[in-house]
Amino acid sequence: MFERLRLHRRRALARLAAFALCGMAAVPAAFAAPDAQALLAASDAVRNPSRPFSVTVNLLEYRNARQTDNNTLSVYSKADPNGGQFNTLIRFVAPQRDANKLLLKNGNDLWFYDPASQASIRLSPQQRLLGQASNGDVVTANLARDYQASWLAEEDVVDGERTTRHCHKLGLAASSPDVTYHRVEMWIEVGSARPVKARFFAQSGHLLKTAFYRKFQPQLGRERPTEVVIIDGLDPAWVTVMRYSDWALREVPDAWLQRDFLPRFKPE
Amino acid sequence: MSAALCALAFSAMAAEPPDAPNDELDALTLADQAPDAPAAAAQRWRAYLEGAGFSRRLGADPDAKAAGRASLDARFDGTLTPGLRLVLSDRLDLMRDNADPAIDSVNTVREAYLSWSVSDSQTLDLGRVNVRHGAAMGYNPTDWFKTGALRGVVSPDPAALRENRQGTVVLQGQQLWPAGGLTLTLSPRLERVRDDDTFAFDAGATNARNRWLLAGSLKIAEGWTPEVLLHGAEGSSPQLGFNLSTLAGDAVVVYGEATFGKGPSLVDQALQTGGRDRMQRRASLGLTYTTPFNLSLTVEAQYASAAPDRSQWNALPSIAAAAPLQLLSVAGDLQDLPARRGAFVYATWKDAFVRRLDLSAFVRQELETDSREQWLELRHRWDRFDLAAQVLVHSGDAGSVYRSIPQRRSLELSLRYYL
Repeated sequence: MFERLRLHRRRALARLAAFALCGMAAVPAAFAAPDAQALLAASDAVRNPSRPFSVTVNLLEYRNARQTDNNTLSVYSKADPNGGQFNTLIRFVAPQRDANKLLLKNGNDLWFYDPASQASIRLSPQQRLLGQASNGDVVTANLARDYQASWLAEEDVVDGERTTRHCHKLGLAASSPDVTYHRVEMWIEVGSARPVKARFFAQSGHLLKTAFYRKFQPQLGRERPTEVVIIDGLDPAWVTVMRYSDWALREVPDAWLQRDFLPRFKPE
Repeated sequence: MSAALCALAFSAMAAEPPDAPNDELDALTLADQAPDAPAAAAQRWRAYLEGAGFSRRLGADPDAKAAGRASLDARFDGTLTPGLRLVLSDRLDLMRDNADPAIDSVNTVREAYLSWSVSDSQTLDLGRVNVRHGAAMGYNPTDWFKTGALRGVVSPDPAALRENRQGTVVLQGQQLWPAGGLTLTLSPRLERVRDDDTFAFDAGATNARNRWLLAGSLKIAEGWTPEVLLHGAEGSSPQLGFNLSTLAGDAVVVYGEATFGKGPSLVDQALQTGGRDRMQRRASLGLTYTTPFNLSLTVEAQYASAAPDRSQWNALPSIAAAAPLQLLSVAGDLQDLPARRGAFVYATWKDAFVRRLDLSAFVRQELETDSREQWLELRHRWDRFDLAAQVLVHSGDAGSVYRSIPQRRSLELSLRYYL
């Protein structure tokens, strides 16, 4: 306890000294903030292959350390040549009650399709089909397209493997009202542009969730996170583990990525 | 110099190990221990068994009648050869009901068709298909192939009604472009008479007339993909339809659906009075708002000029004592509004109150005689089981539209097992 207080005091003094030194040496040319938007785009490129691909996502959900849900999804994704944002088609694989249901994200349009009723229903970004994980969490997203980034600081954070990483801290402000999160804080490792950690906020300012990007492995040409751990902002005992596997480059025809094709979708 | 000072200062900070909240460390430990999920392959079929016990109160009878149901629901969707797909979907409801009138056992062949993908953008379907259109939640004027499609009603939930219905035998072709698509559906007359036998193919219910439908959609702007439809049927005037839905912010979906065309009034159809066809307009306009805690609430205004207004409804008993029931029966068969103006409120809440408990509820309020249909379902999901309780209540003044439905109240408890 006393050791922890001493640690806090030492760190506070170090911060004070740092800001004092910076204040004394406040010369405009001395400190140029990095290009936050470019950093965010580089981080997007770590998470998302630039060519059309498919990946399997397994979502394990925990409440109070007990597993409460398990969903498996097949994700087919392709960058839109016009806007640069990803268009994504998701097929529910398991559990069986949801098998072969589809979720399509085309631009800002979200469609849910149930083969049993042949109904294509438009969803809003707020509607969640998978418990804690928002629809936006499971589709591929280029954050640099939907958010305006500003550089906040360089700081050390503990990453998903509990290793300290030296990171750029970015503040992201939604540039369109249709996105899932109003504001995001994101830590991107200096040098590698790896996403390390993100905190997502509602318009009211309260923390919705914290995400750790971890288990980086070589996939489709570069090191990418193969697991995201999501912690609920209000209830930290509510945890979702998103695991990515079976990465593959594959053709995703434009025809697949529109509402009228949903009843036709048959990937085999 | 200043940069060096800053770097020195920040490196002094960086040398200190940063804090990580215990909650976050706990979550990461949990994730470390999460088991590797077995590789799940997409199934070509989905099937479940369901057993249900229910009680219902009919008419003025003060006693509720108990009944039972056993159901098998199966759907297969597989590729036979590259480009050729077979879809089979069927539901069998075996009833045990001593009430009068009793609910009969019924098998519904929902779908049985072959689909040939000529290319990624061209498809041909042949067989019994559940052809469905419509942007609205509670009332779909452009869903023309719903007419006669219900062989039995297990749940009044609009989503269940769309699913548990008999498909129409069609030849259907679709051409897609990057910004839209065009679908032509041809449905031949196969049989004029309905067949209520449990295992009847019942082509007379869905294919009693030659019909066609042309539907086209076009993305005109980001988030705007309207659909325009033209429907024709032997002995009827062509009907024009529109569907549109779009976003209003990150939590609201707004939708509208409308049809226009000459046709008979519901009173003329029900009583077979042979009245002249008039221009009829049907429409639904609504929005769905989703709260931050994932409760989706839909509010919908509904209108059908063919349905009776208050004075027409009130005049029905003077034509024939059974006329209100006849009209309700025909409206149910057509899945059309029984009264000219209505309001519909629908709520769905996944993981309501506790994890894996889903709540669904609706109120259909008709605004001509001020009566309503109310339904509530609680469904708890386990990995392979669902336990559900649903209650349906019709209320209003004596002689009002929904109060005239013989079944006043029903309560059902069901257990579903996914095979």
